Amino acid sequence: MIRSLAGRIGWSVAVLAALVFAVTPLIWMVLTSVKSNREITQDGSLLPEALTIANYVSLFSGRQFGAYLTNSIIVTTLSVALALALGTMAAYVLARFRLWAGMQRYVGFGLLMVRLLPPIVIIVPIFLAAQQLGLLNTQLSLIVVYATFNVTIVVWMMESFFREIPVDLEEAAMVDGDTRFTAFRRIVLPLAAPGLVATGIFAVITTYNEFLFALVLTSTPAAETMPIGAATLIGRINVDWGAMSAAGVIGALPIVVFSIFVQKHLVRGLTMGAVK
Amino acid sequence: MTPSIARHTLRGSGLDRVLPYLMLGPALFLVLGVIVYPLIDGLRSSTGFFRFGRLIRSVGLDNYRQAFNDPAFIEALVTTARFVVLAVTIETVLGLGLALLCAREVRFIRRLRATLILPMIVTPVVVGIVFRLIYASDVGLLASFAHAFGVDPPQILSTGSGAFWGLVFLDVWEWTPLLFLILLAGIQSMPVEPFEAARVDGAGAWRTFVDHTLPLLRPTILVAVTLRAIEALTTFDQVYVLTRGGPGTSTQLISIYGYQTFFQFQQTGYAAAMLFIVALVVLIGAGFAVGLMRRRGR
Repeated sequence: MIRSLAGRIGWSVAVLAALVFAVTPLIWMVLTSVKSNREITQDGSLLPEALTIANYVSLFSGRQFGAYLTNSIIVTTLSVALALALGTMAAYVLARFRLWAGMQRYVGFGLLMVRLLPPIVIIVPIFLAAQQLGLLNTQLSLIVVYATFNVTIVVWMMESFFREIPVDLEEAAMVDGDTRFTAFRRIVLPLAAPGLVATGIFAVITTYNEFLFALVLTSTPAAETMPIGAATLIGRINVDWGAMSAAGVIGALPIVVFSIFVQKHLVRGLTMGAVK
Repeated sequence: MTPSIARHTLRGSGLDRVLPYLMLGPALFLVLGVIVYPLIDGLRSSTGFFRFGRLIRSVGLDNYRQAFNDPAFIEALVTTARFVVLAVTIETVLGLGLALLCAREVRFIRRLRATLILPMIVTPVVVGIVFRLIYASDVGLLASFAHAFGVDPPQILSTGSGAFWGLVFLDVWEWTPLLFLILLAGIQSMPVEPFEAARVDGAGAWRTFVDHTLPLLRPTILVAVTLRAIEALTTFDQVYVLTRGGPGTSTQLISIYGYQTFFQFQQTGYAAAMLFIVALVVLIGAGFAVGLMRRRGR
């Protein structure tokens, strides 16, 4: 409880400072993206004098941002959906069954270590494998890789959710004639829905934002995703600041819109994704 | 472990007996094929000499020896260590302060928290773009402010130490929200009794923080710091966009150097060895983190 007036003012000032710190860099990017390139380079103004959408138009007319967006949506949706399907089943097994030779413990521990391993460690062999299989520059290669990393996330997060659901409920369903799998699908999954939502949110954000594998595995707009599209605008001889900031806005927009859409579950999803 | 009656029913019908293996199989197959096999394959590559992407011959541990005799590798390790220590320390202090500020349930607090975590949601590549638009010496936000106040614009991306600190600042902006979130969850799950007792005893805010909040929060802080440090060790996207490791080698983190060794210099075996050294460091850290979490949770 904040009692004193001074305390209340201090609190407000601190919170306001944090908000300004968090938001200003993003606002600057948005402002730059609606300025003309002449205004950006010559006037050095803080606020735009005349608004223009030319920077955005150029992204979609000459620069394939429509393709990047489509690729990102396809790759993210399919890999997260696949991971949720396979991962929840695996997590359920680890939470409920005693496997041969107590294997479930080693599998659980192994998956956790794999989850903490930085992906960059395997880019060399993944690239070589994709090359040999003729999967370079395909959406499929990204879907498979992302689905796998997402599976480790899903298992990790869902296992604890399943543990919290009382076994009696499945027992009762099975006494009533359900098979084990039907009991899982009809009784356990709906009860674990909040966990599925949190897990899905976390997986969608990390997958959409992924850059390294997309950079290594794709090379043309046929398979390149949004982060690649945004990053490849940089590094030409002349930096086109207007287009670059518009690319940044468009690149981040889908995931920010998604986050606003799932706002109610966002904080929980991100916290659990980090520490479970 | 939940003691489950379910284990008995498991022995019942034929299908239910193999069901757990059928349900675990596909996920395990993916992980073995896409992560574990490449790991082993990469370990094999790290002991080989390659030319034009083809394995020519095995060279034993030469690639690992080369790493420790390579000044650029050592320098990248040192740069990475400095970056991780500085960024994670600042993030922890700021994140803890922010979590304490936002632990109260007041109006709009949910919306406030959701806004504060925006930086960690924005695509890392875009974060790199955002900070180029801030640091750019001609058109950046800082330059525009300097312009407005009639002072010389700061040179950030063109000097070594400027770029390094610019990168640290970027990371602080992007990942303080993560520390904030984890610590906030920790604060919200603290027991209330010690704090009520402290209030009855008339303890001041600072004493309460040092005597109760910090000790209770210590395990959470340790987990959060370890997890963040593990991820920061292989920071790549933002550097790729912001500086590509430059100017010179001032922001050449180990991930950037490893990437360039493979894709630009085509030294497949050496790159694999280098990344495995990083993996080893991370696995030690990860084992530490898992131990902490096991002790805390479950």
